[in-house]
Amino acid sequence: MIVFDGVNKYFGDFHVLKEIDLTINKGEVVVVIGPSGSGKSTLLRCINRLETISGGSLSINGLNVADKKTDINKLRRNIGMVFQHFYLYPHKTVLENIMLAPRKVLGQSEAEAKKIALKYLEKVGIGDKANSFPSQLSGGQQQRVAIARGLAMGPEIMLFDEPTSALDPEMIGEVLDVMKALAHEGMTMVVVTHEMGFAREVADRIVFMDEGKILEEATPAEFYANPREERARLFLSRILNH
Amino acid sequence: MLDFSILTENLDMYLLGFKNTILSSLIALVASLILGILVAIMRIAPIKPLNWLGTAYVEFIRNIPLLIITFFFFLGLKLSGLYAGTLALTIYTSSFIAEAIRAGILSVPKGQMEAARSSGLSYGQAMRLVILPQAVKIVIPPLGNQFINLVKNSSILAVVAGLDLMYHGDLISSRTFVVFDVYIFVAAFYLILTIPLSIGVGYLEKRLAKSN
Ligand SMILES: Nc1ncnc2c1ncn2[C@@H]1O[C@H](COP(=O)(O)OP(=O)(O)OP(=O)(O)O)[C@@H](O)[C@H]1O
Ligand SMILES: [Mg+2]
Repeated sequence: MIVFDGVNKYFGDFHVLKEIDLTINKGEVVVVIGPSGSGKSTLLRCINRLETISGGSLSINGLNVADKKTDINKLRRNIGMVFQHFYLYPHKTVLENIMLAPRKVLGQSEAEAKKIALKYLEKVGIGDKANSFPSQLSGGQQQRVAIARGLAMGPEIMLFDEPTSALDPEMIGEVLDVMKALAHEGMTMVVVTHEMGFAREVADRIVFMDEGKILEEATPAEFYANPREERARLFLSRILNH
Repeated sequence: MLDFSILTENLDMYLLGFKNTILSSLIALVASLILGILVAIMRIAPIKPLNWLGTAYVEFIRNIPLLIITFFFFLGLKLSGLYAGTLALTIYTSSFIAEAIRAGILSVPKGQMEAARSSGLSYGQAMRLVILPQAVKIVIPPLGNQFINLVKNSSILAVVAGLDLMYHGDLISSRTFVVFDVYIFVAAFYLILTIPLSIGVGYLEKRLAKSN
């Protein structure tokens, strides 16, 4: 369970997250939307402490993320992250990309890590690319490798920051399909995306952010049918009509 | 015409100097590389006091003449010319190497470190397994240039009687009263060291470019 309680975050003087209260339960899929610069990525990156919060409290399964005594590397084992630009390691093969953290962080044997890596590569539908380098793959394939890389650590939580925004339109579907399958298996997911079809189909909740605040939190059905906030309405009409 | 008898008659002195230049350069090369990597990591690590220390080191060392550093060890600490010169060379070169390595590390996209850290790797593991292997490619050419400079700069040893190639050139010249030819041969010996270095760097550069 992820709990934001009155979280504030500043970049210098800039107040990027304002009094964030948000609870994400085990197995929930929460989609975060909002205009550019509203703080969606920052919110996500606080969860695995890629950004540190400036005030309030943030805990995961009761563990205080901001606490200096919290072993951040241990916490991160349990949280996979997928980025807009994939960030696969270009000097390593697909298999090596996936095996690195399980080997070095979890101390798995070569054989064990390989078995698990291949299992997840099959799962994301590119078992045949195990020995390719990232530069030899399409964007959609690279992003699926990145997802497999996150899953190979056996995390409880997966974070996605606009995972399909850098992809050509014809590749978006293949990545979303993998994510939908994950959602149906009960993975706890926090997803920043503007893919409304995805949100409608698998999100338990939609969180709408603007200027560092959470303005609205609703089920997809409620949100699309009747956004309470004027700004959410405006935002929706813009992304749905373009 | 070049007088080759200068070379043949003083060959043992040339070779002694050549040997010392190789020795001094080799030691300084390895030591400055190690020191340079350490200082580069100090400048980049997420620990403020280390950053300051690393920055102070680089800015101080690379902005004073090599000769002054050499005198510091030779006159100040009374080391022998060979030791003082090699030590000065190491320290001087390490500041440039640190900068080249730092630039290489910084040119690796920030997301690489974030991806590695978010998978649970420690900062050190991420640096060693993910960032440095990518930085090497970028760093090889400037590093090669630093090593070539190092070999040439080793002639500073002559100023403090460091028994190197240049020193022996001076010696031969003052004995034979020949200037031009003596130093042409000295230059030739330096080229024997620097040209293979130059070709080697070019070769590595090509190979690394291909593997991309
Ligand atoms: N490291 C940083 N230092 C200073 N300001 C930052 C930093 N990272 C983000 N910001 C600023 O914080 C604000 C929120 O950024 P964030 O990336 O969280 O927005 P976002 O909602 O993800 O936007 P987008 O849809 O464009 O990705 C932006 O105005 C951004 O310029
Ligand atoms: Mg963002």
